[in-house]
Formats: sequence, C-alpha cells, structure tokens
Amino acid sequence: MRNDTGAHTLSFTATREDYRIAWLAALAITIHIAESMLPSPLPGIKPGLANVVTIAALLLYGWRAAVWVSLLRVVVGSLLIGTFLTPTFVLSFSGALASLAVIGLGSLLPGRGLGPVGYCLLASMAHIAAQFYVAYRLFIPHEALFGLLPVLMTAGVGFGLASGLLVRAMMAHFKSDAGPGAPTA
Amino acid sequence: MKRPSVACALVSGLLLALAGCGGHKPEVYKTQLMTLGTIVDISLWDVDEARAQQAVKAVEDVLNGIHVHWHAWEPGPPGQPNLTDLNARLAAGETATVGAEDVAVLRRTQELARAGDQLFNPAIGRLIELWGFHSDDPPLGPPPAPEEIRRLVEAHPTMDDLVIEDDRVSSRNPQVQLDVGGSAKGYAVDRAIDALRALGIDNAIVNAGGGLHAIGAHGDRPWRVGIRNPAQPGIIASLEMRADESVHTSGNYERFFDYQGKRYHHILDPRTGYPAEGVLSVTVVTPDGTLADAADDALFIAGVSGWKEIARRMGVTQVMLIDADMTVHMTPQMAERLRMEIDPPPKIVVEALE
Amino acid sequence: MTRADYFVLAGALLLLPWLYASYWHRGGVGEEVRIVGADGREILASLRKDREIRIEGPLGTSVIEIHDGKARFVSSPCHGQLCVHAGWLHLGGEFTACLPNRVSLAVVGPELRYDTINF
Repeated sequence: MRNDTGAHTLSFTATREDYRIAWLAALAITIHIAESMLPSPLPGIKPGLANVVTIAALLLYGWRAAVWVSLLRVVVGSLLIGTFLTPTFVLSFSGALASLAVIGLGSLLPGRGLGPVGYCLLASMAHIAAQFYVAYRLFIPHEALFGLLPVLMTAGVGFGLASGLLVRAMMAHFKSDAGPGAPTA
Repeated sequence: MKRPSVACALVSGLLLALAGCGGHKPEVYKTQLMTLGTIVDISLWDVDEARAQQAVKAVEDVLNGIHVHWHAWEPGPPGQPNLTDLNARLAAGETATVGAEDVAVLRRTQELARAGDQLFNPAIGRLIELWGFHSDDPPLGPPPAPEEIRRLVEAHPTMDDLVIEDDRVSSRNPQVQLDVGGSAKGYAVDRAIDALRALGIDNAIVNAGGGLHAIGAHGDRPWRVGIRNPAQPGIIASLEMRADESVHTSGNYERFFDYQGKRYHHILDPRTGYPAEGVLSVTVVTPDGTLADAADDALFIAGVSGWKEIARRMGVTQVMLIDADMTVHMTPQMAERLRMEIDPPPKIVVEALE
Repeated sequence: MTRADYFVLAGALLLLPWLYASYWHRGGVGEEVRIVGADGREILASLRKDREIRIEGPLGTSVIEIHDGKARFVSSPCHGQLCVHAGWLHLGGEFTACLPNRVSLAVVGPELRYDTINF
C-alpha cells in the first residue's frame, strides 16, 4: 500500500496461505449473499452452502483457515447485505462461532477422526442449536419457539449431510489434482 | 496421548449438550385439594413428581390444620380446642388460654379490624350465624327477621372488645363471637407458601379460590392469574404476578341465596347487619395474604364512596372494585398492570388514593 | 466415511425423533394469538374477531391480520419476508416471527392463558 507522498512504503507480505484464505472467503461470501436472496420455504431454514467452503478450508488448510473464512464471510457478507450488527448478523455470527468450536473440537479426535460428512453434520447442527438458543434468549423468549426446533434441526441434519457429500466430492477432486495433504489442527 | 482423550470427552460432551439443549423440559405440576371448605388449586413449576407429592402433602397438612383450628362452627377434636371452643368460652363470659400462634393471629386480626375502621369485623359471628352462613351449604332463605338483626347490630361486638393478656383471652362484650372467615384464607395460603419454601420450592401458586399467593415464576414468564367476572361466567381481567404476591377477591357470588328476587350474599355490613350493597367484587393485590384478605372485605363493605379511605388506612395500594353498574374502579397502581380481558372493555375509573 | 462420521450421523438421526417427541406439540384449533413486540409488550387478541394489528419494531411497522380464526403477517419491514411467507396460522402452538423487526406471533390455546383463576 502506498500513500500519496510516496515517502513511506507500507508493505504486507501476503503468504500463499493468505491468498488461499482470501479466495475461499470470497467464495463463501458470494454464496452467503446468494443464499440470503433465495426465498426460503420455512423461517430460519437455509441450505448453508457457505458451510461447504468452511469445511473445505478446514480439511485443506486446517482449523485456523476455517475460522478466517467463516468469520470473514459473516462479517463482510453482512456488511455487503447491510445486516451488520442487526439480529440477522448476531444469529449468523453465533451460528458460525458454534460451528467453528464444534469442528475445532472434532479435529482433535484421535485416529482417522472425522471426514467431510461428520464435520458438515456437526457444524450444521451446532449452527442451528446456537442460532436457536440465541434467538430464544435474546430476541423471542417465547416458549412456542421450541415448536420450531425439530423442523429446524431436521433441515440442519439434511443440509449438513448434503453439504458433507458435496465436500467429499470436492476433496476427491482435489486429491486426484494436487493433494494438499492430511488435515491438521 | 493425553490430548486426544480430553478432546474425545469434550466432543462427546458437546454432542450431549446439543442433544440436551433444553433436554429436560420443565413443566407445571398441578393438583387440587378439597380443604378450607373450598377447592385449593396448587401449581408448582419444575418440580419432579416425588417432591411435588411431598409438597402437596405438606400444603394439605397446613391447610387442614388451619381449617380445623379456626373453624367457627365445628368444635375441635378432643384435646385440641379450636375457635368454636374459644367462642363457647367467650359466650359464657370465661377466660380461655390459647397458644402463642393463636395470640399472634388474634392480635393481628384486631389490628386489621382497627385499620379497616371495624368494617372488617371478625367479631360478628352471631350475625353471620343468624344469616345462616355457618354451614357448608349456602342457606335457602328467607333472610332473618329485621328485629333480630337490629338486636345484634346494636350489641356492637368488635375485635376491640377482646382482651388478650399473655396467653389469656376474654371478652368485654358477651355478644362477641369470632368468625375469621374474612381473613383466615389469606393467613392459611401464606402459611402453605411458607411450607413450600421450607421444602425448597421457589416457584408456586397456592390458590384457595378467592385468595391466592404466588411465588417465583412459571419458568421464563411470570405466573398469570385470571380474575373472575362477577357478573357472568368467565374472566374479566388478568394479572402477571410479581415474585411474591397475594391476590384476594371478595365477590357477592361466592356464597349467597336468592330470596323473592333479591340476592343476599355473605359479606355482611356490621353497621347495618345486612349484606353490603353497591359492589359486585373487590380485588386486592399485596404481598401479605392476611392483609389482602381482610382488606377485600373491608373495601367491599366501604363501597364506591368509602373504599379509597379504607384502602389508605389499611395500606393497600393495588385495588380493583367492580360496582353494581359494572364500572371498574381502580387505583393507578392496579391500572398500570391489570389487563382487561373482556371485549368491549368495561367503563374504567382510575382513582388515586391521595 | 470414517467411523467417527458414522457415529455423528447416527447421533443426528437419533436426535431428530427425540426432538419431535419432545417439542412437536400441536394443540387443537387456537383460541387467540399472542403477539410480542420489540419492547416486550404483549398483545393477546382473539382469533374470533377479525382485525388488523400494527406493531412497531426497530425497522418499522409489522402488520398482522386476524381473519376467520386465522392470523398472519401481512407485511413486515424485514429483508427476508420469512414471516409473511409463513402464511396463515390457526393451530394452538403455531408460531412465526419477524426476527429483524423483533415481532413474534403465536397461536395459543385456552389452556395457556391463565395458570390459575381467582374467583
């Protein structure tokens, strides 16, 4: 970055990993915005395709990368849609944090650990659970909200499974292509 | 080697937390008891079955004990003299010895009667008996002869005629016969709540029909109480209870008989000897159930013109009085929290006590 | 799929029936609707009387219509319009909300109205 006088030069050294994260985050943000424009059959239910990118980042570059991709998506995405710091943002953000926490713990599992499907399912369910809890605590402390929980969780499991299969297909593609190595925490 | 096992525990713990997100769903335990001559409705929030049964048993023991001990027309069991036995001693001009708790209750009743300008008058047992309300079933009428009523009114028995010295009770007026029906329900419900608290139950309602005491809340929301419409079946208004409060209502529909087209109810005006007129019901909200129960009768008798003065004297601020024209009179403190439940809403007059 | 994946999947599939059993309670036909606004103010309206209720939230006015024993969001100043798409509600326990505008709409049966009656 250069200022107008040209007297000082401030430079960042962007690593290869930074570029990767930026690319993945950009992809996630695009999906995030596209999804927010999609009509939803039921309140609170979205496919959560952006989750695919987070899990891919986790499997390819580790948990820290997944955190960056996920948080950049939520913050930048909401800034672009104009929901930053609104309830919608608070819900997205809490869902993202819970997902990251759960997949972070999941990545500590010994042995072969979790694969794409397991990560996506966990992330999706944690996302729903956290959003639901935050919505109930902060916005709508109404007992009837619990009536929605089974439906939301069904959608969460369904979409989590679908995105897990998607990530698995992607990984197979990457592996045959470049082979970035085993996931690490 | 240690890290993976810790991670395992964390993940399974998180899964469990996810699965158990509200896992045990708290509920209301609800039951009814037949005691105090009425149906007592008990609601307990989030108490397991075994503890709830233990709690209900404790409440039942407390209420039965008070019902028997303060019964105004049935003597106590052998060796356990009650209010009826005390009345017999007073009528005979004798001095009776009573327990420490009895002394406290009688003194409190004296204070409340004084604060209520003797409109709340538990010394008119003879008058209540004359009207036939000393019975579990309402009387059929006709009303008593006017000269008999006049004779009892002119005898002017009040709680101040009662002489309490240490544990000895006597009366300066042989016409004094105690009937604590106007405040015993409040006292009994408060003692029942004490019993629940002693068992560690902090969220409950004990409702003896016209009088209830609520503590805590229904989970995340307050307890909700409906108040009966005195003019027709249904609810006229509702309240969300604060943490520790009593609601007492006196109505002309509780115990009454109709005779030759006229309604005679059980809230007798000690000044006339006849059922108090002009009011359908009075509701008082205050933490102390004994006060609320005594005040609702006193305010009912004081009527549309006098209720504010008596409320001020007794120190109750949350009052709703429904008069014979279905106009609802309320203090501002009551109006700000009471919600009308009938459509169209009745005529409401909000009147400050000062 | 790894062993852990199957474990997670099995857990998820077990969780769902349990959630339905615990929370999927639908009462009979509702008696009234409880509307909760952003400030926590509640409106309880009978489903038997047709009317339109306007309620202010942080984004603007949400409009709720009660007609023929059913209730719905007619409009709400939110981005997603999820509450409007939820359509008519009429069964006890049915629920929808406009989260951005902090307005919720629930159909309640008579049993939820009062915990006890003072008479």
